[in-house]
Amino acid sequence: MTEKTHFGYREVPREEKSRLVGSVFDSVAARYDLMNDAMSLGIHRIWKRVALEYTGLRRGGQALDLASGTGDLAARMARIVGDTGLVVLSDINASMLSIGREKLDEQGIFNNVEYSLANAEDLPFESNRFDCVTIGFGLRNVTDKARALGEMARVVKPGGRVVILEFSKPTNPLVERVYDAYSFSALPVMGKLLANDADSYRYLAESIRMHPDQETLERMMLDNSFDHVDVHNLTFGVVAIHVGFRF
Amino acid sequence: MDKKLLDILVCPVTKGPLIYDKPNGELISLSAHLAYPIRDGIPVMLEDEARRLSDEEYQAWRKKHPANGETGS
Repeated sequence: MTEKTHFGYREVPREEKSRLVGSVFDSVAARYDLMNDAMSLGIHRIWKRVALEYTGLRRGGQALDLASGTGDLAARMARIVGDTGLVVLSDINASMLSIGREKLDEQGIFNNVEYSLANAEDLPFESNRFDCVTIGFGLRNVTDKARALGEMARVVKPGGRVVILEFSKPTNPLVERVYDAYSFSALPVMGKLLANDADSYRYLAESIRMHPDQETLERMMLDNSFDHVDVHNLTFGVVAIHVGFRF
Repeated sequence: MDKKLLDILVCPVTKGPLIYDKPNGELISLSAHLAYPIRDGIPVMLEDEARRLSDEEYQAWRKKHPANGETGS
């Protein structure tokens, strides 16, 4: 029997998932930034800013941004590391990465950034290479999360950090109810209106619910080569930042 | 393709070294017998998108790069 995995609430064969996720992101790429602003009421910008504070990056540092998408985190990191540093933007989806490159080009960021298409489960980078690895709203779309976590731990230097920004489980039952109502009624409608694509946004809402909660993800990280993990909840746990350390 | 990036890339399958085939716009992994395409200056480091090297190609590259990590070390 073929092994199954989740695609939103549906069960699909493991080898199908990356293709399905690929088609969601091909479909939303052009309007991704607009939709993020609409869906999170602009709050995703604050979440990303907070995540960057946990990277420990400085001038001259080297960072890898996975599921880099339209490059929000990478653009800010490129400013932090400056001309002597390096930020590598990596995504499995060519449509998303080319929008990211256009956006960074427009902002005049090209001296200290590089691009590579890659699967987070099989990273094409040397071990112990980066001061910091970030993944913002990307991990839940990865089929084999344990394997991807192991790869992130491999490519970060000892003493470096892996910063995972992802939707998580609200810590307050009232917030959870409001949030559920919002994401299952409002999100698909917004997806339909702004991007004419209700299905992709339904997938996004479902995939958030299927993603491991704070404690489960922390445990997965510790089981996959991290020596220590800090968890920070944002907006009542709607989003969490996991910071993984290797010593 | 930029040297800064070439310096840190390895084969995603074997983690072995890569050879930049500039004329053909490919990154060759002898240890995996694969050639990864470079599209619009962006290396496509996905096994599914890579081309399998023929025996002749492999032998030719191997002759030019005898020490290029067979085991990915």
